Amino acid sequence: MATAVNFKSEESQAELIQLVSFNLDREEYGVYVLKVREIIRMSNVTRVPNTPYYVEGVINLRGKVIPIISLRKKFSLSEKENDKQTRIIVMDVDGELMGFIVDSVSEVIRVSAGEIQPPPSVVNGGVDQEYLSGVINRADRLLVLLDLERVFSQSERESLINSSL
Amino acid sequence: MAILCEDEELLEGFLAETSELLEKLDDDLVALEKAPEEIELLNGIFRSIHTVKGASSFLGFDLLVKITHKTEDVLNRLRKDELKVTPEIMDVVLEAVDHIKLLVNDIRNGEIVERELDEIINKLIPYISDAFRESAVLHMESAGTSEREKEVPASPVQTELETEAAAPAQERPRIEAAPAPSPQPPKPNSSKTVARGEELSDNTTVRIDVKRLDDLMNQVGEIVLERNRILQMNQDYLARENTANFGEEFSKLAKRIDFVTSELQMQVLKIRMIPVEKVFKKFPRIVRNLSRDLGKEVDLEINGEETELDRSVVDEIGDPLIHLIRNALDHGVEDPEERVAAGKPRTGKVVLSATHEGNNIIISIKDDGKGIDPEKLARKALDKGLVTEDQIAGMSGKEILDLIFLPGFSTKEKATDVSGRGVGMDVVKTNIRKLNGIIEIRSEVGKGSEFILKLPLTLAIIQSLLVDVENEVYSIPLAAVLETLKVDTSSFHVVGGQEVLKLRDSVLPLLRLQKLFGVQGSETSLNQSYVVIIGVAEKRMGLIVSRLLGQQEVAIKSLGKYLADAPGIAGSTILGDGRVALIVDPAGIIEMEESGVTGAWAA
Repeated sequence: MATAVNFKSEESQAELIQLVSFNLDREEYGVYVLKVREIIRMSNVTRVPNTPYYVEGVINLRGKVIPIISLRKKFSLSEKENDKQTRIIVMDVDGELMGFIVDSVSEVIRVSAGEIQPPPSVVNGGVDQEYLSGVINRADRLLVLLDLERVFSQSERESLINSSL
Repeated sequence: MAILCEDEELLEGFLAETSELLEKLDDDLVALEKAPEEIELLNGIFRSIHTVKGASSFLGFDLLVKITHKTEDVLNRLRKDELKVTPEIMDVVLEAVDHIKLLVNDIRNGEIVERELDEIINKLIPYISDAFRESAVLHMESAGTSEREKEVPASPVQTELETEAAAPAQERPRIEAAPAPSPQPPKPNSSKTVARGEELSDNTTVRIDVKRLDDLMNQVGEIVLERNRILQMNQDYLARENTANFGEEFSKLAKRIDFVTSELQMQVLKIRMIPVEKVFKKFPRIVRNLSRDLGKEVDLEINGEETELDRSVVDEIGDPLIHLIRNALDHGVEDPEERVAAGKPRTGKVVLSATHEGNNIIISIKDDGKGIDPEKLARKALDKGLVTEDQIAGMSGKEILDLIFLPGFSTKEKATDVSGRGVGMDVVKTNIRKLNGIIEIRSEVGKGSEFILKLPLTLAIIQSLLVDVENEVYSIPLAAVLETLKVDTSSFHVVGGQEVLKLRDSVLPLLRLQKLFGVQGSETSLNQSYVVIIGVAEKRMGLIVSRLLGQQEVAIKSLGKYLADAPGIAGSTILGDGRVALIVDPAGIIEMEESGVTGAWAA
C-alpha cells in the first residue's frame, strides 16, 4: 500500500489529490492521476501466446510496443464486448508503460487526502483485496482507489510468465 | 574518497585515453615476450605507461602514479638492456598492469579506493636497479606521508621526463593509439559505468570515423528533401492541384524514400559496428597464462580481427569465446611430450578467426590437438546417465559430438580449475542461442577440432520471414531459417508421439506453431503444408505454418519487462500497417521442445 500511504501522512491530510475515475462492471474506481500517461481508444491488440488469461496482448503506441491488461479478466468480472466507450488507460507501472482496458473513463476528480479511508476488510465483487489502497465515500458515490502497481507486484510479474507453463 | 576534479571533460578524456592505452598494453606485452628483440614494441609499451603516469600525476591520482612509476622503471631497464625479457618479469609487469586497470576502474566509478599496492610494488622492486631498491624500500616505509615528493628524486632519469609529461600527455596518446583521426563524440554526463572485474572496456562512448558521420549527415539531408516533397504533394492534393499524375508521383516518392531510409539504416548500423578485435585482443594474454598454467606450449594465431559487428553482439560473444579457447587449450591441445610422441610439433596451435558471410559473422576456433573421440564421448554420456544406449545407437557422428552441449557434461577425466566442471559448453550454447547464432563442431581424432559460430551481425534490425498462422502474423528471424519447404502431409511421420519429417538423410522433429501458440482456428487438413526449418546452435527442427508471407527487414521492439519472458517469443515488431507482429524465438522454441513443454501443449 506504499503509494497510497505516502500521501496520507498526518501533515498532508488537507492535500488535494487528483484521481482519474473509470468504470468497470458496475463499480467506479480511481487511479492516481500522475501515474496515468494517456487514455486511448481501443486499438488493434496483438495476442501474445502463452501468457496469463488477463494479458490481452500488445499494441503499437506510436512506435512503442506496450502490453495490454484486461482489468475485467484480472478481477474475474464477467466479460464484455468492447464498445465505443471502451478505453485503454496507459499507465506508468514501475517505469514501464502498460495499458489497462476499462469499460469507460469518466472524469478527473479531486479528493483531499483525508477523505481516503482504508479499504473495508471484506470486499465483494472479485477485486482482490491487495490491489485496493483505499475507498472514497462521498454522498452520491463510492470510489475504489486502485493501486495498479500492486496488480503487478514482483511475484505477480514472475508468475505472469510461469503461470502459463 | 570521492574524486575531486573540477574539469569533468579533462577527467573523461583521461579515462578514455588511459583505457585505450591499457587495453592495447596486454596484447603488446604478450607480443613482447615472444619477440624480446622488438625495440619499437618495447618503446611503445614504455610510452604508454609513461603517458598514463604523466596524465595521472597531472590529475593527482597518487596511487596510479606510484604504480605506473615503478612499472615504468622496470620497462626502462629492459629498454636500456640492463634486464632481459623473461616470463617472470612479464608476469610481474602484467600483474602491475592489472592493478593499474583496477585503479583506473575505481576512478571511472567515481570512488578512489585505497588499494594495497605494496605487494605488487615489492614484486617490481627486485627488477629495478640495486641503488634504486634502497630508495624504494625507504619510500615504502614512509608511504603515506608525501608520496610524490619522495618518488620524484627516486629516479633521476625520469624526473625531466615527468615534468614534461604532465602537459603534453594529453596530446601524445592521440598519435600513438588512435590510428584514425577520429573525433570523440560528447559523452553522456555520468561516467559511472559499472565495469566488470579487470575489464576496462568503456562501452558508453564510441569513436566514429568522421567520414561515416558525414555520410550520415548526407543521408539525413536526403530524407529532409523527401519529407519536403511529401509535404508539397499533400498540399497540392488538398488544393486539388496537379492531381493528374498524383499516383505516379507518389509511387516514385515511395521508392525514393524506401531507398534513402535503407541507406540511412545501413549507415547507422555501420556506426554501431566495431571490429571484433575488441574481444580478440584479450586472448593472447589468456592463452599465454593458460598454457603456462597447464604446462603446454601453444601458439595463438588470430585472423580477421578487423571484421566488424554490432556492439551488442560484441558484448555478448566474449564469454563463449573464452570458454571455447580454454577448452581448446585444456582438452584439445596435448602436452608437449604427448605431441612429440604423436609426431606433431611440440607447440600446439590454436587459430581464432573471424569472417563475414552475408548477414552473418563466422567465428572459428580451431586447434590441432587430439580431437574429440566420439566413442569416448558417447560412453561418457552414458555413464553420466545423460542419454540411453538406444539413443546413442540411433545417433549420427555429428549428433554424438553435439552431446558435449548437454548440461553436466565433461569429458576431462579430472576437472581442472580451467575447464572441466561441465558447465562450459552449456554456457556457450546458451549464449550463442541468446544471440540466435548457430554452432557447429568439426573434429577429427588425432588431428584437432574446430568450433564454428555463426552469428547475426546485429541484434537491432533483422531480416525475417513473415509467416501466417491461421491469420496471425509471426516473424521468424531469417538467421535461424535454414530452408522452407512445401511438403505433402503424407511425408510426416509420428515417432514416439512426436511428428517428424524425413528430410534427405535426417529426421527432423516438427512443431505446429498453431498448437504451440494456441492460435484459434480450424486445424487445416490440407494435403500440403508449409514447413520452415530452423536451426539454432547445434539443433534443427521444422515449424509448420499456414502460409509464408515473405521476407522483410524488421526492427526489433522489446515487449517490455513484463512479457519479456513469454515462452517462444523473442520480441515484436511493427508491420507496415501499424499492427504488432510477434517475433518467434527459435532458440526458445527449441529449448521448450527439448524440455518437453511443447508436447504437453500439443496434446
